Amino acid sequence: MNDLSKSMERTLLSAPGKKKTRDINAISPLWNFIFNAGVCLFALSCIFPFIFIIIISFTDEKTLAINGFSILPEVLSLDAYRFLMRSGEQMVQSLGVTLTVTVIGTILTLYLVSTYAYAISRKNFDQRRFFSFLAFFTMLFSGGLVPGYIVVTQVLHLRDSIWALIFPSILNAFYIIVMRTFFTTTVPDAIIESAKIDGATEFGIYTRIVLPISLPGIATIGLFSTLGFWNDWFNALLYIDNPNLIPLQTLLIRIQNNMDFIVQNSSQVVSYDIAATLPTETVRMAMVVLATLPIALAYPFFQKYFIQGLTIGSVKE
Amino acid sequence: MMSKKNVLLMVVFLFALASTLTGCGSSNTDQNSNGNTPSGTQSANSAETGGQTGDKLDPVKLKVYLIGGPQRDLPTVQEEMNKYLTDKINATVDITMIDWGDYSKRLPVITASGENYDIAFTSSWAFDYLPNATRGAFLPINDLLEKYGQDIKKELDPRFLTGSQVNGKNYAVPVNKELASQWVWRFNKQYVDKYKMDISKIRTLEDLEPYLKQIKEGEPADITPLAVPKGFKPYIPFDFLLGDEFPVGMNMNSTDGKYVNILESGELKSSLKTIRKYYQAGYLRKDVATLEGIDNIKTGKWFADREQTQPYAELGWSRSAGYDIVTSPMQDPVIFTGSATGSMHAISANSKNPERAMMFLNLLNTDKYLRNLINYGIEGTHYKKISEDVIEDLPAMKDGYQMPGFALGNLFLTYSHKEDPADKWEAFKEFNNSAKVAPSFGFNFNPDPVKTEVASISAIVKEFYPPIMTGAVDPDEHLPKAISKMKAAGLDKVITEAQKQYDEWKAANK
Repeated sequence: MNDLSKSMERTLLSAPGKKKTRDINAISPLWNFIFNAGVCLFALSCIFPFIFIIIISFTDEKTLAINGFSILPEVLSLDAYRFLMRSGEQMVQSLGVTLTVTVIGTILTLYLVSTYAYAISRKNFDQRRFFSFLAFFTMLFSGGLVPGYIVVTQVLHLRDSIWALIFPSILNAFYIIVMRTFFTTTVPDAIIESAKIDGATEFGIYTRIVLPISLPGIATIGLFSTLGFWNDWFNALLYIDNPNLIPLQTLLIRIQNNMDFIVQNSSQVVSYDIAATLPTETVRMAMVVLATLPIALAYPFFQKYFIQGLTIGSVKE
Repeated sequence: MMSKKNVLLMVVFLFALASTLTGCGSSNTDQNSNGNTPSGTQSANSAETGGQTGDKLDPVKLKVYLIGGPQRDLPTVQEEMNKYLTDKINATVDITMIDWGDYSKRLPVITASGENYDIAFTSSWAFDYLPNATRGAFLPINDLLEKYGQDIKKELDPRFLTGSQVNGKNYAVPVNKELASQWVWRFNKQYVDKYKMDISKIRTLEDLEPYLKQIKEGEPADITPLAVPKGFKPYIPFDFLLGDEFPVGMNMNSTDGKYVNILESGELKSSLKTIRKYYQAGYLRKDVATLEGIDNIKTGKWFADREQTQPYAELGWSRSAGYDIVTSPMQDPVIFTGSATGSMHAISANSKNPERAMMFLNLLNTDKYLRNLINYGIEGTHYKKISEDVIEDLPAMKDGYQMPGFALGNLFLTYSHKEDPADKWEAFKEFNNSAKVAPSFGFNFNPDPVKTEVASISAIVKEFYPPIMTGAVDPDEHLPKAISKMKAAGLDKVITEAQKQYDEWKAANK
């Protein structure tokens, strides 16, 4: 925003005819303003739906039914949030499940992915080709839904257990490939060589030298998998029946699925009012707000690693 | 470094591993490590004893999947059920409720994984009965019905069993409920009273006109005269091949048994002219063609809409709306194949205890105590009895035990509420008996040979139907476009295939 106002100022102050003094490589202030405005519009179009959801969640239900959605609702109300506070045990429980799964899942993912990727990034590891291929192969050929289901339910017996939400997605081939590339490009062999000469063990090299200089990569994968676990609803849909183990997103997707179902089959299910068992529109929006805010707030903590970018040198070549 | 030979070996090993994993999905014979059934309780020989007494049978646990939102108090109710069932047939049940929207996604996976559950809900609209029966997911139950389900056959309207046959065999036990379907116009009673309308005269779309006009002229602009969303279709007397979202059907008034393209029928053309006129006159919402659903019941700002009915449905509608709603029929009740397969329980082809599963279904459909236990929960906790067959809900029912009655078993055994008319179930039976049977009743179309055509035509329907059927665009201009697009997508091929299958079925069922 600051840059924008400065460039505006410059455009306004530059008197006509007078030679402007500016960097020869810079774009003209006018274009700068146009580009900035374009980016602002794009950002707004990304944020607006969410702002709208927040507004709807504070709207009075009856007003909503009569007027439809509006940016400035006639009647504001906190009813939706009150309702969730009152009957929100399931919601709190689900939030707990989601948090647990996300934290444990992310830690396990980082541990497994980074160790695997580090091993196959080392050129003096004999089997690196085979293990790279092993990971890569699963990206191209997957067994599909049903074999996966069989493994989880009948081989591992994870039905209705919290591990069913974690295990299926902790080792992701794509993350491994990304991490491996990252290690090979940012960790020079020279460092490892010198560490060896100084008498560091293999594990010591990994934990005390490689990891600290690979933080941006770790953070990236960490964010990916945090988002992945936080937003995952499909595993719970398949494996979980116990209401105490339902994650938040699955709770939301169930409501969504039931809504779709009602729209499609309204004529089939005459005798039973499914709609009566669903939360109202405002409550649904309030649920979305409560489900999305925590993860949106987590993002700034990763931000600093992204700004550093994925290139850090530590050796003079 | 790895040699080429080693890589090759690994690939072969991986493929072998993958194929063993997928391969044993379809056969369960060597899987004894299943959590659902107590090991070593093969009741294959219990069938030979023939006795229905509980002490002669080995105890078994039946895994049951039902549709509906998971309920908090199900475990306690299930415990009560199991006491009773142990006594009766020495079985216990383990019921899993899967939510409406998820049911059709999850059951196919469970079935494909070869899990040996015993009973699952199936129907024409969720975990579809026909393809799964054809695929061999369910056990043919005719023999079991003869042996252990005689009571079901006594209670059930025989047309349910005829209508749900696939290639001459039954694969599921239908729930005894309303068998016919009937479209009605619904009216918001306050306006009917205000303008002293005689709605009994209203039957066709054309009959509505003067009344819609009255509302349009006499009421404020936010009252929608004909409050329908984009799914609206004018009623035409056709027996549809694949539901009303697909343009093939058989005229109910004809006796030639020919499937035709309904978009070319005279009935539809004239109805479309009428609805177009209504749209232009502003009787429908301006945005009707993009309206997913309409909250007319909630807001009360409407005069007429359409709905499928059953006996005393208007009482329920009025109760949930909080104001009075009255109806007038568009047609006489008709029995379609789809209405016979509206709610059923199938026994899995992988079930280890099919006999006991059938005994349980038999009780569920004939035993008053069990049927009401699963439906309403425990007496004194979830409801209290007012008289022999009439109950009143207690708060615990709303909080923790709301079950979809129509998907659980014989509906005519359930208690009624004190608001319900005393002759409710009588009226249902009456409704079933009064209905006439559609020409294709009992015929199940198998769309597999024309799968691609059906899929692409359905996509065209999604695009063209809402604006055309709601009158939002001129039918003279857009209907021919839709027809030519569908013809290009192979509509005639579908009609030919349907005709062929129908004629074969007709010949076999003379």
